[in-house]
Amino acid sequence: MLSAMLRRFHLTSFIFLAVAALAPAGCERRGGCTGPNCGTLIDAAVTEPPTLLPPSTEDIVANDIGEQLFLKLADVGMSTNTVGDEDFQPLLAQKWEWDGPLTLVFHLDPRARWQDGPRVTAADVEFTFNAYTDSAVGSPFRPKLHRIASVTQRDSLTTVFRFKEKYPEMFYDAVYHMRILPAHLLRPVPRDQWKTAAFGRQPVGDGPYRFVRWQAAQSIELVADSTFFLGRPGIRRLIWRITPNLQVAVQQAIADEADVREQLVTPDNVARARAAPQLSVYPFRGSVYTLLLFNLRASDDTTKPHPIFSDRTLRRALSMAVDRASLVKSALGDLGKVPPGPMSELLGIWDPDIRQLPFDTALAARILNGQGWRDHDGDGIRDKDGQPLAFHILVPTSSVLRRQYARLLQEQFRALGVHVEIDELEPSVVNQRAATGKFDTIILSRQNDPSPSSGIAQSWTRAGFGGSNFGRYYSADFEQLVDRAVTATSRDQARALWRRAMETVNADAPGVFLYALENVGAVHKRIENVQFRPDSWAALLRTWRIPPDRMIDRDRVER
Amino acid sequence: MMGAAWLLRRLVASIAIIFAVVTFVFILIHAAPGKPCAGQPEDVDPAVCAQLNRQFGLDRSIPEQYWRYVVALAQGNLGYSFSLRRPVADAIAETIPFTLQLAGAALLLDFLLGLGLGIYQAGRVNRLPDVIIGNATLFIYSLPTFWLALLLLLVFGEKLGWFPVGGASDPVFCPVVDSLYCVRDRLWHLVLPAATLGLVGAAGTARFQRAAMLDVATQDYVRTARAKGVPERRVVWRHQLRNALLSFITRFGLAFPFLLTGAVLIETIFAWPGMGRLAFEAILTRDYSLVTATALVASTMVVGGNLLADMLLGLADPRLRVRAGADVEALTA
Repeated sequence: MLSAMLRRFHLTSFIFLAVAALAPAGCERRGGCTGPNCGTLIDAAVTEPPTLLPPSTEDIVANDIGEQLFLKLADVGMSTNTVGDEDFQPLLAQKWEWDGPLTLVFHLDPRARWQDGPRVTAADVEFTFNAYTDSAVGSPFRPKLHRIASVTQRDSLTTVFRFKEKYPEMFYDAVYHMRILPAHLLRPVPRDQWKTAAFGRQPVGDGPYRFVRWQAAQSIELVADSTFFLGRPGIRRLIWRITPNLQVAVQQAIADEADVREQLVTPDNVARARAAPQLSVYPFRGSVYTLLLFNLRASDDTTKPHPIFSDRTLRRALSMAVDRASLVKSALGDLGKVPPGPMSELLGIWDPDIRQLPFDTALAARILNGQGWRDHDGDGIRDKDGQPLAFHILVPTSSVLRRQYARLLQEQFRALGVHVEIDELEPSVVNQRAATGKFDTIILSRQNDPSPSSGIAQSWTRAGFGGSNFGRYYSADFEQLVDRAVTATSRDQARALWRRAMETVNADAPGVFLYALENVGAVHKRIENVQFRPDSWAALLRTWRIPPDRMIDRDRVER
Repeated sequence: MMGAAWLLRRLVASIAIIFAVVTFVFILIHAAPGKPCAGQPEDVDPAVCAQLNRQFGLDRSIPEQYWRYVVALAQGNLGYSFSLRRPVADAIAETIPFTLQLAGAALLLDFLLGLGLGIYQAGRVNRLPDVIIGNATLFIYSLPTFWLALLLLLVFGEKLGWFPVGGASDPVFCPVVDSLYCVRDRLWHLVLPAATLGLVGAAGTARFQRAAMLDVATQDYVRTARAKGVPERRVVWRHQLRNALLSFITRFGLAFPFLLTGAVLIETIFAWPGMGRLAFEAILTRDYSLVTATALVASTMVVGGNLLADMLLGLADPRLRVRAGADVEALTA
């Protein structure tokens, strides 16, 4: 009896001790920071950047962190207008002026300093331009700077940009793509080793936040620079908590283990975030659109035309058979829109009135019949000269939404008598096949920066052959319109030319422009002054704040 | 004791196995479709990719890459990670402790719970508790691990908030484990991933151990002990369990591959920063050096675990000490 009691006691004690050892970890908190300059913001990030050295990566989290560490000369405003310079906000540059049609002069703010002490000078700006345009660095931003002839220093705080030609987005090109780098720290590092430089894992910047630590596969932490020349940031500590997938990231925000999830992506996630009592949701213009891209070249030999998609009339018929509006409604609800061309809503040229092909299955069927594509053998699939009207859709396994769309498209094409097979493959395989032209069609998502100039030219003109014009679309009319739009002298003229260019590409139907995602971010309700700039949600993080009376345990941590 | 010759033979065989695994994985990952390149699939610039390929030597022929890899490996150099832009050895050194913590906790749960249930069931064979536990362990054993992981995450993480939703530590209070509080925080983060791996393992161990105990129960020495009037508790613990532990040790050796393959999935779902997640992401990005290095480390751990199990078997069973060598291998095969 006694031994039985003792045994039971031992078991009970063990369970109690185990619970006691673990439970306080969930509720015990430390920290004594008080006042307005405390606060911690945790972002649930879904990728880990390869490096934090700005010219070496286009990674989205690296960009978000780069916004806090390295300043640009100036940056776009909330309007994201990229034409002219009137909507731009000064950062490192206190002011600027035009010295003739091709020369732009920046005057640096004398208060700006690198976090290790030295002043930010025009030599840093010159060094930065040379680095971004150096082929040894291999920066993905290099092609976007090709219209700038040179960057020189007039004196220690004055820098001069000279352009090769006059065009509406000269100022945008000068300031948007480059974050100014510390020449005194990076000059000794050989340029061809920048991608792997130690600086990329322990950066020193001039921005509102300083780098603290990078715990591989776990988190990256920054702390506010109380001496930042444009004013002390509102939140003391920023942490990017790295998780390998979106669902866990959303769960962390819902479970109050993260304060921000900047993109919820699916209607289900938005509904869950709305139901979480501590979260507010913020819709903002999306920068991504998705399309079904037709390969105009044979998938086994890019020198030959594709047996189906090289035919413009047939492409138009297939495009007309897709009910894009109802697809968006059923898959995305209010979270998506039908794009009026190859663009996201971020672009200023977005206009629902741009002429597009209609959804008209009867007309599509008549066109196919007229072309000789009929169901001669009664198997439900159209054929011509013994060749069935059939193709494959390539889609990455990583995207639930695009896989869903592939099935919906398959069904809509089946109703027209077109046989579609879906190839769901790993992203790296999809990438390889896209780059080498080994596909019939592919469901792609493309990200826009605020200007149409570089992205659209790269994706839809001959300049993108062997690059990101995977379908090898070419139209002389379109290219001429794009060239004229890029070099137009006024905003209205550029807008009109872009509209005509979009209508040209829509009429040629090199793809079906399926949906443009509306972004919805979730942020903890205790955070005030939340502003999401559409092209970069973290651009204005330094102005967010947490009122002292709303702070929670993690805001008061002091290290 | 085991003979030195036997140990040497096993060590040489182990190295050969590891080398074969590395070669196989190297060829397989290079032959797989998809190429390594940074950036999103849709927006990747081929010119940037080409430069990265040159920089990391990926534009050379596969035999040349293999030769360079083997030479570097012989010098203790695991190469440079394409996706992480840092030495592979650094990345692996950071992740191994996390995988060992997870595997260790899961192994502990697996064996303590599995052994306990197996012994308990064997003492009540075909009675109600045995039937209930038997069906319960079968149910858990047949659950897909990823499904159980998602379920635990949803219920105990998101809904009830009892345990953290992923990660290995609180990034605010414990970015590094430097206090008792942070040790508890790490254990608290460990509960769900270790429970997922450990519960499924324990279900298997319980069934295995029950069968082993019943097998031993029919042996002459057990019957003799009972006939001599030895108390039942002593029969079970001294005679039955001790002999049934031989198969348990064998299972210990087999547990390593299970834990390491399970860790790939569990670490990814629970955002646990271990080697399994590293390997998974390396495969997705076709980071050849990293994939091969994780295979090297994993195969070393598996082969080492089996070698350890063989040695323990030799220690536990006096018959095997005399006939060490081929007999041990036959027993554990």
